[in-house]
Amino acid sequence: MNRMKSKTIMRLTSLAMVLAWIFTGPTQAKIETVEGPTFNLTAKDGFITTPDGGAYLMWGYALNGGTMQYPGPTMDVNEGDTVTVNLINQLSVPVSIVFPGNVGITAAGDSNGLLTKEADPNGGTASYSFTAAHPGTYIYYSGTNPALQVEMGLVGALIVRPQSYHPVTKKWAYNHTDSRYDYEYLFLLTEMDPVVHEMAQCGKWDEIDLTTYWPVLWFINGRNAPDTMMPANTPLLPTQPYNCLPRMHPGDRILLRFVGGGRDLHPFHPHGNNFLQIARDGRLLSSAPAAGADLAVSNFTLAVAPGQTADAIFEWTGEKLGWDIYGHDVNDPMQPNEYAPDHGKPFPVMLPDKKNLTFGATYSGSPFLGLQGDLPPGEGGFNVNAGYFFMWHSHNEKEMVNYDIFPGGMMTMLIIEPNGVKIE
Amino acid sequence: MSRIVENSKQKVLAVLVLLIVTGTSLGQPGKFTVEYYLRADTTTKTMPDGKIIAMWGFALDSAFGAEDGVVTVPGPLLTVPNDKKHLVINLDNNLGVPVSIVIPSQINTTMVPVKFTDDKGRQRIRSFTHETEPNNTEAVIYEWKNFRPGTYLYHSGSHPAVQVQMGLYGCLKKDVEKVKGKNVPNVAYKQGNNLVTYDADVVLCFSEIDPALHNAVATGNYGPGKAMTSTINYKPKYFLINGEPYSSGLPPLPAGSPNQQVLIRFVNAGLETHVPVLQGFHMNVVAEDGHKYRYDREQYSLILPAHKTKDAIIVPAAAGTYPVYDRRLRLTNAGASPGGMLTYLNVTND
Repeated sequence: MNRMKSKTIMRLTSLAMVLAWIFTGPTQAKIETVEGPTFNLTAKDGFITTPDGGAYLMWGYALNGGTMQYPGPTMDVNEGDTVTVNLINQLSVPVSIVFPGNVGITAAGDSNGLLTKEADPNGGTASYSFTAAHPGTYIYYSGTNPALQVEMGLVGALIVRPQSYHPVTKKWAYNHTDSRYDYEYLFLLTEMDPVVHEMAQCGKWDEIDLTTYWPVLWFINGRNAPDTMMPANTPLLPTQPYNCLPRMHPGDRILLRFVGGGRDLHPFHPHGNNFLQIARDGRLLSSAPAAGADLAVSNFTLAVAPGQTADAIFEWTGEKLGWDIYGHDVNDPMQPNEYAPDHGKPFPVMLPDKKNLTFGATYSGSPFLGLQGDLPPGEGGFNVNAGYFFMWHSHNEKEMVNYDIFPGGMMTMLIIEPNGVKIE
Repeated sequence: MSRIVENSKQKVLAVLVLLIVTGTSLGQPGKFTVEYYLRADTTTKTMPDGKIIAMWGFALDSAFGAEDGVVTVPGPLLTVPNDKKHLVINLDNNLGVPVSIVIPSQINTTMVPVKFTDDKGRQRIRSFTHETEPNNTEAVIYEWKNFRPGTYLYHSGSHPAVQVQMGLYGCLKKDVEKVKGKNVPNVAYKQGNNLVTYDADVVLCFSEIDPALHNAVATGNYGPGKAMTSTINYKPKYFLINGEPYSSGLPPLPAGSPNQQVLIRFVNAGLETHVPVLQGFHMNVVAEDGHKYRYDREQYSLILPAHKTKDAIIVPAAAGTYPVYDRRLRLTNAGASPGGMLTYLNVTND
């Protein structure tokens, strides 16, 4: 099943990825963030595109008066920072920003809204200031008519680095070693009902009825699969700067920052292994202060709830597959982080003759990690390091489509890269 | 029983008490029983847009037949005092269909399902427990022994797909009876020596209304062969907290004073999952479905599926009005915004 999904996806993905790789180089694997503690955002409109050929009117938070983007800039601050967010409103309705989970917010603005101070339409301003008191993953979004404005795109993520953090020597998500990681990735999950956006584009605001909301497009970091796997900041998607392509070596720990940006719950599912949920709403799952993530939960799916955030650690070594993923002979030296009990165990399948196979775009020609095999002309080519690809997706499987076209939607790939491959 | 009594002496006493209680005839409750008279009846709710919705609800009467209570949705908040062990609800039914009362998660009750024979000759369950027929001349008694402390939802157990949605639901709470043998007030939960105490509490009961369903039921157009045959096309248009959708001027809910332990009782009486978000706090979520967690869960949002209850403690640092709303963004009154599941907690200086 999964192999079939992968094959089809990769064929469809091919053209986009070829173009992307040719023009923008290797795909980044990191969270693209904007460092604070002061951010100047402008609420403005623009269009995004979806892989099924759609183009939709959106509202977004633009950075420093630049291009509208969906989602808004991923804010990156340090624990203890005084965070200031200045908002200019170029939309024709009032807007604002709320920062759930952050307290003591000083808000200034043109008008009093129901949840916070608001910036008036057509040039109004507002400003929000607070101390980033706790490390973790957070969400921000419009507190003004959020049912409409979040759907229109006014949502983003906020990362608060712990005091103990160092970008090279101490990559921790919280002030505890249980949250240490080698690479981090963002999964801001949203969905869309195109009818709302089409009505908006026609100016039929009064006809938008959000009680009949019916999403048919699903996003990770503002993109639908397979665009999720294209590089960040690709010129092909000028208003959707963020990708989501987790990569790791066997034995690495990767941190997954989940943000429920939309209005539905999404059961997010990693292939390859369970992940360990270590935090929710910017708090480690702890039995007591300083106890670390001792209440962490191993998840097959994680219910990413709207407005909620969660952090998880994922690890993979190929443990207990029952065969040596490197194709070693018993007497070969061990690879770093290799699962020793399987060292030298033979591949359990007699590979069919290549003439009897079809090939996915990410098949390296060999079942072994880091080994390229022969492929017929024109086949493969998207697995430059001979890594392993695992599909990660919403396990509400209808969310893996783009407006009824499979595959797509809330889906991406994890790449297990061979040791020595540079990941950045 | 053994969870409540802590030594053998008390156990003997408890058995004696139980004998005394069970010795009293139904309707003549003993010293350890709290008794309520509920009436199922019709009412209407006027939505902020002027739409009048036909509802069913419960009223709290002073006695059977007194009919001196007001029908509300949700029904009256019932409290089992912590010096009472048992709950008796005497039910009066002024609706045109049989109704009943169930309290899921309370197991010390006798439930006898009511069946009917459908047009294919099949025996099918209509009610989870014995029913109160329309216009009953005597109270029908529903009884729960050794009522478990916590936050609960009560609702009709008869044709619940329709009757719960029509409004036959309400909230119910009980504090811990004894701490180290003594009756101490305001202890919501106890697990060993680990107590959840509070100074003030507030109930947030989430539910929805699909006007089309209410209209069909009220006009006799619901049922087999009629205009609406099931609730499969449930499309709620109004989204309520404590029976009210948000509208300008909605009064905030009293929620204690600064530095107090304020217990928020989240209850979902609707059909949809909601995700309440509390702005301005992380809360310590302490219990679910009336059962205390072993460890508190510190979060500002919580997943509240249909029929879930969750309890959380906040300690407000300052007076103010703090918004709480459904992050599934059910923030509309039949398409108009603002509206829906938004309310405010009012923390006031004493």
